[in-house]
Amino acid sequence: MVSTLIEQIVNGIVTGSVYAIVAVGMTMIFGVLRAINFAHGEYYMLGTFGAWFAIDYLGLSYEASIVVGILSTIVIAYVVGQLVMRRMVGAPAESGVLATLGIALVLQNTVILVFGGGYKFFSGGYIEPVSILGFSLAEQRVLILVVCLLVFIGLELMVTHSRMGKAMRAVSQNVECCEVVGIDVPQVVLRTFILGAALAALSGVLTAPVNVSVYGGMGELITFKTLPIIIMGGLGNVRGTFFAAMILGIAESLVATYVGLQYRDTVGFATLILMLMWRPHGLFSTQARF
Amino acid sequence: MSLTQTSERARRRDYRIPLGILLFSVALAAPFIGSRYVVHALIIALVFMLPAHGLNLLVGYTGLLSLAQAAFFGIGAYTAGLLAIGYGTPFYVNAVVAGLAAGAVALPLGVPALRLRSTSFVMCTLGFVIIGQAIAKNWISVTRGDMGLSGIPKPYFELGPLSFTVGGTTGFYYLALAIGILATLAVFAVVRSPAGRNMVAIRENETLAESLGVPTWHYKLIVFMLSAVFAGVGGSLYAHYLTVVSPLTFQMYYSTTMLIIVLGGGAGMISGTIFGSLLFVGLTEALRITPELRMIAYGLCLLVLVFWFKQGFAPVINRVWNAIGGAK
Amino acid sequence: MTTHLPLLDIRNLTKSYGAVKAVNDVSLHIDRGEIAGLIGPNGSGKSTFFDCSTGLARPDTGTVVLDGQDITGWSLNRIAREGRMLRSFQKTVTFRSLDVEENLIIAGQMFTFPSILSTFSIGKLSRQRIAGLRERARELIRMAGLWDVRHQPAGNLSGGQQKLIQFASMLMPEPKLILLDEPMAGINPKIIERVVETILYANKSLGVSFLVIEHNIDVVTSICRRVIVLDQGQKLAEGLPQDIIQDQRVREAYLGG
Repeated sequence: MVSTLIEQIVNGIVTGSVYAIVAVGMTMIFGVLRAINFAHGEYYMLGTFGAWFAIDYLGLSYEASIVVGILSTIVIAYVVGQLVMRRMVGAPAESGVLATLGIALVLQNTVILVFGGGYKFFSGGYIEPVSILGFSLAEQRVLILVVCLLVFIGLELMVTHSRMGKAMRAVSQNVECCEVVGIDVPQVVLRTFILGAALAALSGVLTAPVNVSVYGGMGELITFKTLPIIIMGGLGNVRGTFFAAMILGIAESLVATYVGLQYRDTVGFATLILMLMWRPHGLFSTQARF
Repeated sequence: MSLTQTSERARRRDYRIPLGILLFSVALAAPFIGSRYVVHALIIALVFMLPAHGLNLLVGYTGLLSLAQAAFFGIGAYTAGLLAIGYGTPFYVNAVVAGLAAGAVALPLGVPALRLRSTSFVMCTLGFVIIGQAIAKNWISVTRGDMGLSGIPKPYFELGPLSFTVGGTTGFYYLALAIGILATLAVFAVVRSPAGRNMVAIRENETLAESLGVPTWHYKLIVFMLSAVFAGVGGSLYAHYLTVVSPLTFQMYYSTTMLIIVLGGGAGMISGTIFGSLLFVGLTEALRITPELRMIAYGLCLLVLVFWFKQGFAPVINRVWNAIGGAK
Repeated sequence: MTTHLPLLDIRNLTKSYGAVKAVNDVSLHIDRGEIAGLIGPNGSGKSTFFDCSTGLARPDTGTVVLDGQDITGWSLNRIAREGRMLRSFQKTVTFRSLDVEENLIIAGQMFTFPSILSTFSIGKLSRQRIAGLRERARELIRMAGLWDVRHQPAGNLSGGQQKLIQFASMLMPEPKLILLDEPMAGINPKIIERVVETILYANKSLGVSFLVIEHNIDVVTSICRRVIVLDQGQKLAEGLPQDIIQDQRVREAYLGG
């Protein structure tokens, strides 16, 4: 009984890690652009499809497919960034919602049009179980946990130490000032966006061996999961996003086990709506950006 | 000044009334002119025009961007379907109850949601759609879960001693057209009323409106409920036309479609919504475009609307309208 | 008896933002028919005081009594509608895409319709009410010198003209009291004259009382009978304008002493 509970919590943390890697990019994009990217889950889907394509069509190994998945997503994100995201600097929030909704429709349905709408089987990954502290856990899940921690440590270091990170922090705090001191705001937005998309793709290719099935609509589901996370985490707040993702991952896992699997996918939005009524500004401060 | 205007008007005839009559005759004659498939496409356009009219009141006139329209559409569809299957009630009862049910649900949802600002409000309205779908899937004793409702009877009327069923496509087309005209007149009345002016004031500058005594919060809540009523009635038509309703009625794609109709046709214009329904829903349906291509086209439309044609087709419609109206 | 009651009576108003006391225990009254001035250096709490008196912000403590009725905690729209106390904003605001006439009609609507639901009517009564408002709007538009531009979108007009629109809008509901937040800021001398004229007209002919925040000391001395000085959230002085500008403490506050 207790061991099921702990197992579910561990599973929840793995799911939370998947969400966290996607959501952190979304929240950083909000930080610099003040717009919510409704298409963010589509980059998760693109990464997964890229890797699946590399394995099934090009006969590459899983390791190589990770690179292909992320690189192809970066290329697409670059195009979308140049054409659309750069224009969103300084636009009203409503424009951001509509434009990214449009991108989501285009990306998702183009993939369905090209590869078909059915479920595809993802054959790569490390699925051997390993035993840690008496629990057996698939290698892939351990990998996800490790990568998630590395991503967040890396982001912390980047934000505090690199030029790019400092520029991102500056833009997220005050766009007008940045323009005055000569920071190229659209360039920072573009880079942040590509970084976020690449992270979403990374999350996708790491999760594919666990989920096994790959389909065009998978990105939308991820968007719906990460939207509540970034709001609960306090829009633009990286650490808050990490904890909110973990909370949602664990909550979903527990709801799926003890309440019913069918209710799992509504946990996020149900919590979000309750939270918006109770604390409209998120559980974690939006002031503590990055 | 006034003299030249009169002579101008005398020289250029006002064609608005004849054109209106012509369009109305075309709408009436459509089942005899167009193929069965065209009539089907027109019905779908009319069905979606209803929630779009409601959304136009919300987005176009009051300035509130909402994705919740599909949720109220779904509530209307399920309400009408359940009534028709369970109680065999006449169509007008189903439609009215569907509208009222959607409006009633909008009240407790709107009270907390309308306290939120821009993005959070949008997110909250999206949540309503997702939670609506989950309820439709899981409240199996009422909604039959994933199977949805099927075998919803054709619209049935009982007017005094007279009772009849609207069976064929042509019949349903006239029913949808009648409801569409009624809804358009209703929107027209709201927009032309003093309340319509207050709604525009809220869109233009909420704090200023508030400082001039306009209870903005009450208006936003009323318009939110009103938009839900329109969506609910639209849902009842949808249920009776397709005869099946599934949890997928609650999907963001429908909300996006309604947004495209309103923004693409020209937000804050009744004629824009009518035009938008015909163009974005009617035409794509009539051309039998695959759903994927249609969604890609919608996505591109959204991008174009946001960055290049912010007013949609509104300027075009205005120009044509002025030209035929003889105005300078 | 009632004639001795001030029109607006604000007592011990306090409002803090975090550790900063923006308004600290300020009491103030406006008599019927009076034009009073509220002055003070930037950041002295004048605007916060306005916000708390008109329902845009909620005061921490203190009471606001308008015409014998306690209106503390009422919302901005209710104070405007039921109290007939209106306020302007420092930044000029109009309904930009609507024409001048519509701007004024909106300003009058909530005062001629008995309930929110009745505003949804397009019946004969409703049309008559709007026709009445239109007539009044045209009168005010003529008075404000906006007749030639009455069918232009407000957003297309100059800052000064928009200020006049805002001012004329506030006269639509036959207010008892108007609070003006820096009405002369950023407009040219010709329009200043026009605004002064309108204030005096509204005061004499329409019986409207005023409380005016203004930095232009000439305007203050020419229209106000009484001036209240705020400094660092507290009331520093109160009296006749000519006495106030001689007051040593006031001079020090302004010169940053």
